[in-house]
Amino acid sequence: MTGGKLYGYAGRILRVNLSKAKIVEEELKPNLLKFYLGGTGYAARILWDSLERGVDPFSPENLLIACTGPLTGTLAPCSGSVEFAFKSPLTGIFGQTRAGGSFGPRLKYAGYDFIIVEGASDKPVYLSVVDDSPEIRDASHIWGKTVHEATDILLEEVGDPQASVACIGPGGEKLIRYASIMVDYDRAAGRCGGGAVMGSKKLKAIVVDGDHDIEAAKPDEFYEAALEAIKAVGKQGRGSLGQFGTVGGLLGLNESGALPTKNFQTCYYEEAEKMSGEELARRYLLKRRACMGCPIGCGRYVWVPSGPYMTPPHEGAEYETTDMLGVQSMMGSLEPLIRASYLCNTYGIDTISAGNAIAFAIEAYEKGLITDEDTGGIRLRWGDADACLKLLELIIERKYIGDLLAEGVKRAAEKIGRGAEDFACHGKGLEVPAHDTRGTSKSLAIQYAIGNPRGACHIEPIWSPMWDFSRSSLGLGELGLPWPPPSRFEETGVRRGEACRLLWLYGELASILGICRFSMQGGEDEILTPARLSRLVSALTGWDLSPKDLIKISDRVYTLKRCFNVREGVGRKDDRLPKRLMEPLATGPTKGQKVENLDMMLDETYEALGWDKKTGKPTREKLKELGLDDVSEVIWGG
Amino acid sequence: MPRTLVISPDKCTGCRICMLACSYRHFKVINPARSRIRVVRLPHEPVDSPIYCIQCGLCISACPFNALSRDLRTGAVKVDPEKCTGCGICVHVCPYGAVSRDPETHKALLCDLCDGDPECAKVCPEGVLLYLDPDDAAEYKRMAFSRLQRREITPLKPDAR
Repeated sequence: MTGGKLYGYAGRILRVNLSKAKIVEEELKPNLLKFYLGGTGYAARILWDSLERGVDPFSPENLLIACTGPLTGTLAPCSGSVEFAFKSPLTGIFGQTRAGGSFGPRLKYAGYDFIIVEGASDKPVYLSVVDDSPEIRDASHIWGKTVHEATDILLEEVGDPQASVACIGPGGEKLIRYASIMVDYDRAAGRCGGGAVMGSKKLKAIVVDGDHDIEAAKPDEFYEAALEAIKAVGKQGRGSLGQFGTVGGLLGLNESGALPTKNFQTCYYEEAEKMSGEELARRYLLKRRACMGCPIGCGRYVWVPSGPYMTPPHEGAEYETTDMLGVQSMMGSLEPLIRASYLCNTYGIDTISAGNAIAFAIEAYEKGLITDEDTGGIRLRWGDADACLKLLELIIERKYIGDLLAEGVKRAAEKIGRGAEDFACHGKGLEVPAHDTRGTSKSLAIQYAIGNPRGACHIEPIWSPMWDFSRSSLGLGELGLPWPPPSRFEETGVRRGEACRLLWLYGELASILGICRFSMQGGEDEILTPARLSRLVSALTGWDLSPKDLIKISDRVYTLKRCFNVREGVGRKDDRLPKRLMEPLATGPTKGQKVENLDMMLDETYEALGWDKKTGKPTREKLKELGLDDVSEVIWGG
Repeated sequence: MPRTLVISPDKCTGCRICMLACSYRHFKVINPARSRIRVVRLPHEPVDSPIYCIQCGLCISACPFNALSRDLRTGAVKVDPEKCTGCGICVHVCPYGAVSRDPETHKALLCDLCDGDPECAKVCPEGVLLYLDPDDAAEYKRMAFSRLQRREITPLKPDAR
């Protein structure tokens, strides 16, 4: 890994300073690649080096980095990823958010692995990276337009209908703290408010395309490994994920008592049948759609052809959206849910955070903490889909209570007070998604509490219930994953901390290598196991990277992101769960399940991770072992 | 008798693995701009469609440099890279947009059916691309042609029960 030609990478970074309207190209640094490989790993180092502690996420000093990994845009299955990394305006800590589509691959074909956006523009602009001539262009004519409108206009303007557009909608422009960056119309980099960071920089969109080659160091070996992997992962395309999308899992979760409902009061929804992936396929599905390079095709191209909830054809209604916007508020019907999902997409806000905020508001209204005066006369009730849609519009327009909810439930609850914090479901400011700490698996209790890197999240670094809920070893047996897994409800003394560590480090590889996590969830014969990843990455880059080597790099990246958060003031004191997520569940098959021993679970997990139990900081020894001595000096002092 | 490449377009998810594999087979690089097959995704419509060469041969006689000929073994139109000047007449005459020019060499990118073993048909995870005996392939051609005659091209409405 010393000098010479880089294989698998485009080899260059595009650095764009919007304050100075200046664009420069830089080479990738081989010493950083060796340590962090790429994707959010490489970006984490850039953010660590570039951002001062306490920098305002909405200030020009914040960076927005569009990241690809070595596998992005190659023939490795599910390699259509792009990740955006930045300091999050929602959480104030490390922000990363991923989208599928074709933006990541096309960025590499355009000849760049990363785009680093710094500074801020005075007037609306977009960045065009097509035909080898990157340019900052005026965007005043599309400022205020929806994602769908702006994407149409930009594709025509650059004259390349196959180009990929990542843009923000009015949500990002209005600095809604959970505004999304939308890719290829409907693929969402939804979480952590990347769209609001773009909005603060007055950057409406980035358009990319190009015709550069990606080369493999060992072309025949890589091709053989890729074909084998496509075949393996492609099995999921024939299964539930391909045929019914992520929402195909909704009924199974409900039957297991793991379907968050009524702002996490319960994990069982009586009317789940009406919101299922099967029902969606029967009535609203036009076709399946895949991201670039994906043999699964979980995307749902749907519409509501007529009536009050009419939508044009679009990609939408995946599981998280369906639960958070539809089940949590108990809509009881798919049509308003599809409409809500469509609105979130085209106005550019995260469906998970928006759904969480709406359920929070209904409960606050029920408890009398907010009134008709706050809602502009909308009477919020569980199961009233029309009221939910009206509230969603208030958020999008930042009107009445919508203006407060646009700040996220953490800030909203603090402002409302009077006990609202007790049912504001967030971890480090990130709204809790549609998997539960009590109904799904206790692994999620630890995952949400630690919330590294981005707060309470089900999928970054990975959906850890894969281990104890779905009972797959993910090919991690040889690396030491405890097997067989315990019951998903047992808390301590079952090696849960050890398991979580390994699962997370495996999952973290997705955002480093540039692949989708659905290629890493399932049985060993249908996913990119560490062995398959090692084969692919080694043949592609020419660097001999064993599964163990990959996990070590992942460990470094995961730990560095924690250090970023530690530098912002995060520690054990912040590794908590919202009160609601520890309380006994009210109904259903998991009725009465609660979280009792969070502190002991945290102790076990810190120990496995090499973190100090008292402070929650990665220990000096751990940082030394990972070669992060300079980072250690900052968080522990010299 | 040579076999024929046909498609069953409704199944295409738009993953574009065929395009990546096509560039790999011919150039040992990944680059969809160098693919001979192109998947078109129409915005706002439920259409992902592989546009591929049906080997009609219209380009053969149009080529001013006699660079194109029919390979009788595979039935594919063949490009003689020595003779091809990259003038682009073949791109101009192809009614389907199935011919393009290589971004690097500017020479014609024409489907050669991978010398009788098309990579796209092998890698397609959805079984959209089929390499069949001509008689079986004719069924698919008739289906494709009859679709053109369908008056209503908007998608079928979901069951309104």
